This record gives sequence, structure tokens and C-alpha cells, in this order.
Amino acid sequence: MTITENLFENLRLELRRGCLTLAVLAQLRQEHYGYTLRKALAKRGLEIDESTLYPLLRRLEAQGLLTSEWREEDKRNKRFYRLSGDGERIFAQLLGEWQAINAAIHLTIDNIQ
Amino acid sequence: MELLDRYLQAVRKHLPWERQDDIIAELRANLEAQLEDKEAELGRPLTAGEAEEWLKQIGPPMQVAARYYPQQYLIGPAVFPTYWFVLRLAVFWVMVAYSIGVAVQIAVRSPSWASVFEGVLRVPEVLLTTAASVTLIFAAIEFMATRYPGRWPALAAPSGDWTPSALPLVEKAAAPGQKPRSYAYAVAELIFGCLFLMWLLLVPHYPYLLLGPGAAYLHGSPFQLAPVLVQFYWWVVGLNVLQLGWRVADLLRGRWQGPPLVQRKTVQALGLIPLLLLFTVRDHAWIVLRHPALDQARYGGAVEAINKAIYLGASILCALAVLQLLWEMARMGLNVYRKRAAAMR
Repeated sequence: MTITENLFENLRLELRRGCLTLAVLAQLRQEHYGYTLRKALAKRGLEIDESTLYPLLRRLEAQGLLTSEWREEDKRNKRFYRLSGDGERIFAQLLGEWQAINAAIHLTIDNIQ
Repeated sequence: MELLDRYLQAVRKHLPWERQDDIIAELRANLEAQLEDKEAELGRPLTAGEAEEWLKQIGPPMQVAARYYPQQYLIGPAVFPTYWFVLRLAVFWVMVAYSIGVAVQIAVRSPSWASVFEGVLRVPEVLLTTAASVTLIFAAIEFMATRYPGRWPALAAPSGDWTPSALPLVEKAAAPGQKPRSYAYAVAELIFGCLFLMWLLLVPHYPYLLLGPGAAYLHGSPFQLAPVLVQFYWWVVGLNVLQLGWRVADLLRGRWQGPPLVQRKTVQALGLIPLLLLFTVRDHAWIVLRHPALDQARYGGAVEAINKAIYLGASILCALAVLQLLWEMARMGLNVYRKRAAAMR
């Protein structure tokens, strides 16, 4: 990997990190377990590695943004996650922030073009 | 699927022990559901090669397990700027104190090359000990700030208690050596360099130019310079000629504006050779008796004392010259690195 490619990869990961959290919170307004959440996000064009998504769910739960419960489904025990009360409030704030940034970036790009 | 069991077992070994069961149960449920989907899509079980490829895609067990740990720092981003500032300050002042301490120790005890060498050899140890001590202190600060954020709020983040008006004044003058030199300045340097060389070449013929009225006593003196000092003198002359030649070349090529760093460092490095040459003389006899057989009893002690004093002075001078050269070379290296790093950004 060249220095430029490496730099791009680092910046891309940095850019994705915050967006992934927002996408996961958005998707978990509806209950999911890890694999179906991953599938649902992939269906909307947001591919996330297993090794990124599953630990992220744990972290968000530890921060109080998600709640989880073990439940049996299709004869298999699965851990289902959904947005907590705090999670809903913070998600709304983050969404507002993201929309403002997105609008500002669009304006900036349009101005330059 | 046996390969999946082996994979999960390998992941488990690297997980935080208190959450191993919980994490593995969840990971198993997710991966088994994914496997079922894959097999339903293919209409058959995965082959050994396909299973291996799938697990490889998920990632090495240790890396997958590592993601379940909170991000850990020895020194985190909030404390790091202070740590870096203190580390540089500590290393600098410890080196200053160490150099002074070693110089005094060498001067007070028996001055010798062995003790200078010993002092230089201990520099890495001193630097490492200083850096390790500062790092340990800041690692402890980081630990306390992370573990007890409420109790140690000042440690976790830089203090907000500062005023812009308390900042140091803007440095008006550029650092010496960084200012562009004018043509007049470069010519004046060349003229004064030529005058100095002329003076230097005349001194052996007219000692008055160096010693003033004291030169009259030189003819009747029982002392004389050892031949090595003549060699030393010609080295000094040679270095001055080299420096002048370099300056003339710079003027002719129109490159007088930049600071003559390479030139200065080369002359400085070559300047060490005559200094080292002085130390090759047996018994450090730089001043000798003109008629040893006649004057040894009367002036032998005085000659020895003079040579000892010159040896002490030359040792300190040589140590300082080496340290200065090393310091400036390190700074030059750092500047080159900075410029390259800035160019790459």
C-alpha cells in the first residue's frame, strides 16, 4: 500500500467511524440481533465487518445507548438490541448534528463547483 | 461445524475472562445464522475451503477478540501534549546538568581521555532513565485520571485557567543562522577572514602580533614549543584557507544568502583533528625546555605545571567542541526531517 493509499484508508476509516455509530443507532430504533442488523445495514448499502459491528454493539450498550435481552428465536438463543431512552435522545441530537454537517458540506461543495 | 468451533475457541482465549461466555455465545449465534444463510443460498453445506475462506474474512481470532476491549493507552491524548512537553524539557535540562557535572568531575579528578569517554558512554543510560521516569510518572497520572475522573479532573484535561495576555511576546528576531545574509555581510566576512589569515601567517615571524611586549622575553626564555604545536598551527592555517575558499566559491556561485551551515559544521568537525593531534604527544609535553640538560632541575617543575594546565584546558575544550558538534548535528538532522515531513504532508 502506498503512502497516499494508506493516508486515504486512514481518513476513510475516520470518516466512517462516526457515521457507523449513527447508522447503527438509526437501525436499532427497531429491534435486531447482531446478524440481522448487519444484513439490514448491508441492504441499505452500508457494509460493516462482523469484527467491527459486534463489539460496537457491546460498547453502545455499555454506554447506555442500547438495551439488550437474550431470547430464543428459531431454536437458537440470540441477543436482541434496541435503542434505550437515552439512546433515542442522543440519536436525535446526533442526527441533527449530522444533518447540519451534511448540509454545510453540500453548500461548500456547491459553492466551489 | 468443527472449524467454527475451533475458531470460536481461539477467539475466546483472547477475550476478557469475565465476559468470555457471553461474548462467545453471542458471536456463535451471529456466525451460525450467517452460516445458515450462506448454506441456504448455495443449497449445500460449505466445503472446507469455503469455510476457511469465510472465517479468514471475519479476521484473525486475536484481532477479533481485541475489538471487545476498551481502547487502552499508556498515556492518552488529553495528557500526551503535557507529557511530551515535560519529556523534552526534562531530557534537555538533565543533559545540561549531566554535562556540567561530568566536566567538573573530570576537571577536579585526574583529567584523562578515559574519563571523557566514560562520561560520553553513560549518556544513553542517563537519557533512557530520564525518559523512563517521566513516562512512568505520566502513565500513573493517566491511570489516576482514567480511573478516578471525578476526583482528578485537572489531570484528565489541560487547565482552562489561562489568559491569552499571559502568553510570551512575539519573537521579533529570527534565530541566528536563519536570517538571509546580505552580499555586503558575506563580502565583509571574506575580508575579515583574509585579514585574520594574514595575521595568523605573520605570527611565527612577528610574535609581537600575538604576545605584544611579552614577545621580547621569548628569546631569552628557557622554554620552547614542542614540534606538535607547529603541526597544530598549520592545521589551523589549513582550516582557515578551506573556509575562505568555500566562502569565495559561495560568492562566485551566488549562494551567499543561505546560512553556511554545512560549511560551518565541516570546519567544526575538521577542527577536532588538530585538537586530537595535541593529545597524541607523549606525556602531553607541549612546552619543552630549550636546554633540558641545563635547565631540568630549575624549570622542570614549572614546565610540568604549565603542560598539566594546558592539558586540562584542552580536554575541556575538546569535550565541549564534541558535545556542541553532536548537538548541532542532531538539530540539523531534525530540521532536515521536519522539512521532509512537511513536504510529504
